[in-house]
Amino acid sequence: MAKPRRISRNPDLVKGVGKYSRSKMYHKRGLWAIKAKNNGVFPTHAPKAASPSIAEKTSKFYPADDVKKPLINKRKPKPTKLRASITPGTVLIVLAGRFKGKRVVFLKQLSSGLLLITGPFKINGVPLRRCNQSYVIATSTKVDVSGVDVSNIDDKYFAKQTEQKKKKGEGEFFEAEKEEKNVLPAEKKESQKAVDASLTKNIEAIPNLKAYLSARFSLKSGMKPHELVF
Amino acid sequence: MVQYRFHQYQVVGRALPTEADEHPKIYRMKLWATNEVRAKSKFWYFLRKLKKVKKSNGQVLAINEIYEKKPTEIKNYGIWLRYQSRTGYHNMYKEYRDTTLNGAVEHMYAEMASRHRVRAPCIQIIKTATVPDELCKRESTKQFHSADIKFPMVFKKVRPPTRKLKTTYKAKKPNLFM
Amino acid sequence: MPFKRYVEIGRVALVNYGKDYGRLVVIVDVLDMNRVLVDAPNMVRGQMNLKRLSLTDIKVDIEKAPKKKALIEAMEAADVKNKWENSSWGRKLIVQKRRAALNDFDRFKIMLAKIKKSGAVKQELSKLKKQAA
Repeated sequence: MAKPRRISRNPDLVKGVGKYSRSKMYHKRGLWAIKAKNNGVFPTHAPKAASPSIAEKTSKFYPADDVKKPLINKRKPKPTKLRASITPGTVLIVLAGRFKGKRVVFLKQLSSGLLLITGPFKINGVPLRRCNQSYVIATSTKVDVSGVDVSNIDDKYFAKQTEQKKKKGEGEFFEAEKEEKNVLPAEKKESQKAVDASLTKNIEAIPNLKAYLSARFSLKSGMKPHELVF
Repeated sequence: MVQYRFHQYQVVGRALPTEADEHPKIYRMKLWATNEVRAKSKFWYFLRKLKKVKKSNGQVLAINEIYEKKPTEIKNYGIWLRYQSRTGYHNMYKEYRDTTLNGAVEHMYAEMASRHRVRAPCIQIIKTATVPDELCKRESTKQFHSADIKFPMVFKKVRPPTRKLKTTYKAKKPNLFM
Repeated sequence: MPFKRYVEIGRVALVNYGKDYGRLVVIVDVLDMNRVLVDAPNMVRGQMNLKRLSLTDIKVDIEKAPKKKALIEAMEAADVKNKWENSSWGRKLIVQKRRAALNDFDRFKIMLAKIKKSGAVKQELSKLKKQAA
């Protein structure tokens, strides 16, 4: 839609010469009314506080090299999709790391996308631990995890402890070293116990399951992993 | 289903209508070819030999593929054919047992190539027919007509379940004893 | 030694190659020395090369190229399914299938059962050895 043309109140007689005089236009435009309303002065805006920047001096020369400005990355990573075969209580086979070959129980997915697993610790020595789902085979065996409360365990639970450096005197240098062993905090031991207690009960209800979880998985001759059903 | 190289087509064509003859005679021919384009070509080849119609003054009205009506039934197919050998032209009659006519024709082409070294372009199929059992002429088809036919399998074919699992070398010699 | 299994109308055979691999079919007619017409309750009747078939001991009493209904009736009358599943060949195939379908926990349980069995056998054997000595 075209904008309505604003017609000048002072039409041109000749190009550059208006019909009305300057004082006539002053009255026509009604500027006097504005002035009267504001006690005899035109209203003004207070000048903006000048921004203190622009102290940077522009360089005298153009830069010799092209410095590429990185593009703004607005991508937000999507939340990790859990494999359909992994549900709370699924028995997983860990494929990598210290506990490779261990059969463990999946408890829940953490907000970082990692899997929260436990051995349970009492059965096969795998503590409450995080694990990436790509390093795991999901089996079709399920354990009942209804009584297990893992709501208080999140990614922060696994955060690294920042060590405070202690100042040591010269004399106690050697004795102090021995005491400074990495001791697991008591609350972690507590939470492990709390999780394991109800879980082991459920595991022991099914015959052979405890022995199954405590045994390691390994490929024997003649086993074709691509043809196996887990 | 077995995929055959040769398909049966029905081609309908005629000479272009002229002022003298507004409704020229329409010809229909059933023939075997690998695709429609070749079927049309073969149609014009035969038509210009049989009638006074060429592609330049003719038109194809329709071309359809013909499928076997009952591919689950065994029939005796008789095929009359004419072929060009190195010395001259010969006529021949052959009989095949098959479930489809296309299968029988395929068989005929293979047999002509092996027994007489005649390739497909040199063979013209004159006519085909399904022959009832009692009218069959060849012993090779008649011997399978009896309902109490019985023969052993003499060799065991040792073969993996799919082509993918095929290997050139084996650790053990296969046991072919039945 | 005479042959025990013949290509004949009514012979039950196992398909050992191709799309229908593992299917039990009945020979309903003979095309020629190499090809036969086969049929089964859940398939479309069609020709098949004899190279793809392994003949079994089972035979069904049927006419040449019978109607589907007559074929199914004849197969039931001859008790083909039971006969096949109780033959050592059929049993082996069933066991093979069952073994392939086992999951990790099932395999573990079988391992335990095997240990238990061999333990019992050993115990019994040592007892017998003591008696003999």
